[in-house]
Amino acid sequence: MTTNASLTAHDSGLRRLLGRFPFLPALFILAVLLILNGIFEPNSLSFRSLTGLVRTYMALMLLAVAQTYVVYAADIDLSVGAIASLVNVTIIVLMQHMGGGGLSVLAALGVGVLVGLACGLVNGFVVAALRLQAIVATFATSIFFTGLALVILPVAGMPAPTVFWRTYGGSFFGIPFVFYAAATLAILLYLLARTRLATQLLAVGDGQQAAFQSGLPVTAIRIGGYALCGVFAALAAFCITGDTASGDPLVGAKMTLFSVAAVVLGGSALSGGFGTVAGSVIAALIIGLINSLVFFAGTPSHWQNFVQGLAILAALMVGVLVSRRGRA
Amino acid sequence: MTKLKLSGVSKAYGATLALRRGDLELDSGEVHVLIGANGSGKSTLCKIVAGSVRPDAGEVLLDGRAVTVSGPRAAQALGIGIFYQELSLADHRSVAENICLPDLPRQNGLFIDRTALRAEAERYIALFETVAGAALQADTIVGDLRADQRQLVEIMKALATEAPILIFDEPTSALDRAQVDRFFEILRDLKSKGRSIVFISHRMDEIFAIGDRVTVIRDGETVGTTTISETSPDAVIHMMVGEQETLATPQAAPPIHAPSTDIALKVEGLTGAGFHEVSFAVGRGEILGLGGLHGQGQSAILKALFGAVAPRSGEVKLAGERLRIDSPRSAIAQGLAYVSGDRGRDGVISGRPILENVTPIHALRNRLLLARPGRLAEKALPALKALNTKFAGLSHSIGSLSGGNQQKIVIARWLIDKPDILLLDDPTKGIDLSAKADLFALIRELAAEGLAIVLYSSEDAELLNNADRILVFNGGSVSRELSGAERTRYNLYQAAYEAA
Repeated sequence: MTTNASLTAHDSGLRRLLGRFPFLPALFILAVLLILNGIFEPNSLSFRSLTGLVRTYMALMLLAVAQTYVVYAADIDLSVGAIASLVNVTIIVLMQHMGGGGLSVLAALGVGVLVGLACGLVNGFVVAALRLQAIVATFATSIFFTGLALVILPVAGMPAPTVFWRTYGGSFFGIPFVFYAAATLAILLYLLARTRLATQLLAVGDGQQAAFQSGLPVTAIRIGGYALCGVFAALAAFCITGDTASGDPLVGAKMTLFSVAAVVLGGSALSGGFGTVAGSVIAALIIGLINSLVFFAGTPSHWQNFVQGLAILAALMVGVLVSRRGRA
Repeated sequence: MTKLKLSGVSKAYGATLALRRGDLELDSGEVHVLIGANGSGKSTLCKIVAGSVRPDAGEVLLDGRAVTVSGPRAAQALGIGIFYQELSLADHRSVAENICLPDLPRQNGLFIDRTALRAEAERYIALFETVAGAALQADTIVGDLRADQRQLVEIMKALATEAPILIFDEPTSALDRAQVDRFFEILRDLKSKGRSIVFISHRMDEIFAIGDRVTVIRDGETVGTTTISETSPDAVIHMMVGEQETLATPQAAPPIHAPSTDIALKVEGLTGAGFHEVSFAVGRGEILGLGGLHGQGQSAILKALFGAVAPRSGEVKLAGERLRIDSPRSAIAQGLAYVSGDRGRDGVISGRPILENVTPIHALRNRLLLARPGRLAEKALPALKALNTKFAGLSHSIGSLSGGNQQKIVIARWLIDKPDILLLDDPTKGIDLSAKADLFALIRELAAEGLAIVLYSSEDAELLNNADRILVFNGGSVSRELSGAERTRYNLYQAAYEAA
């Protein structure tokens, strides 16, 4: 084994490294962006600003994770944003009706997770059981979910109970709440990566026919991926609600394609079978840092979208170039 | 002690009958060989047993009890494991995960038990330790393995089901001698433990080395079963050939052109991916057939001649002049034409009108900058007519035509400006009988006009009826040349099935 490896030590070293940690290019881009942010605005690397960054982009990280599980199996979910919106307005309205006490908040969150799970099951049923094209079917369900959200809360602006957003924005024992949330997420992702479902999703993504012939329950596995995606979209909705402190039936819509971009930027293959959730989390942070960099670099407001788009394209290119070298 | 019995099993895909009447009796503790020509239905039979294909009719008896194998999972539950010819591996997963994929070991009901997974996989990897090569480890990603190693992993995956019935559909095609020997040792061991094994191979020596009984399938029907020790390779080939020993239609036996007089294309020592040291010559007016089992290098050579895949070494001469072909574009410029049986991928420009599908080669060869539909139609119509193509109008989409007529359009493309050499890569795949007859009539006509034609066909009857000479390929090189009266089904099979 070692004799073979030494022949092409450099290339196969990079290859093996990327094979095990496909998110390395993303990690590299993240470091570069942190440095650039520090140059333009030294304050942006302060504990406070970083906390703010994580607080704002926790929702996107969770949505990217949600999307990753679906992409594992070579599917896609264009309704993650709509699910997040639906869960956002559902818990806001529930908390409002139940008085906004601590227990009612917990009850609302429980319902929120169930709503996310239900949406995921609907997606899974439509895509895997009815065999509709994932990209179109989930686009259709996204309109459906948004419609539901608009029925529940027609106008944006109903406020969240104080206890809810105070907790999300607050600190315990000197450590901001979002870092506890991030640590919990890390443990959760670690455990999920070890489940049978994660490996089965990747195997389905590698080749549905082969997975079927191996005796895997392909339909059930794909539905499982969508269900997991729905639950994580619900968790993302909790973060959105904590960050904005209000209900908005359209809040998640613009985040859907960002979640897809984060999955790709994180080194996962849209064709399925290959990827990591860690990469998606890092990539969500990259997108967040690009946004703040555009702001700190003093870009005039009407140029911000333009620059932001270019920067994301550049980041995607760096990632693709590095992985291609590693795979060649 | 019949373990598994299939009677009258059939399966059709649309109009194509993949299996007409499959019968098989599998005993406990035997290696039962299935043999039959290309497309005779062996793989379909295996997939029916393994649950990945549902039969249209027939009965499956397991231990004397009628069972319905509703899917691969159900097959596993019934104790049937299978090695798939096209492999069923997940390329990005590790060897260990692939071996145990059908039933990943769990702990606490939810998580994969990594230790158990590894231990389980290593038991099977150890079986091939001496012959698998160092790279085949439990953690290796399957996509990084060589073809033979991937095949070994698929074998291990089948073995890991520990099923009483194991089916191996061409498990040895990429393995070397030592690996095959080791595999056979393992099979003998399993046999002695009472397991039932179905084994498919195209190598006669392997069949006689490992088999106890052999069942022959011809044209989707089980012909018969005999005991290996009481038969000979010759007798088996006779069973495969059946009554069709000689040419099906002697009228097709055309005059044989002596290739030495007027050579159009000469290939010397051509070596590339999938074929090595192939030499042959085709004369003007001659139809040279390439025969043998699927994937023995016939298609690869035609693609290399057309410049689609670069050969590693060797020489190609066109009318005595050395040919430099680095792309299909330059091949076309030098008078070569290529028609693929995979028209969806290599032929049809889907969604476009018939006219556009007939004229691209004409436009390329004459460097037309502007397309004047009226002019082009004048050129296209005679070519289409020569082929008896049925179509409503030149502006209709090619998708509105049947498969046979689509293929005629693709061939018509080459007839506006006649090429010197016509390369046909299994051109009649999925085409109805009358279209086939039209095609071969035209091909014979083209040959009479002086074209040199190289024809690969996966249907042996087509070759026997239409080729003046047949080169039988085996393992990437020519194992035998059949011409004149030697062109019999028996000779073709014998050359194709002998050890490579």
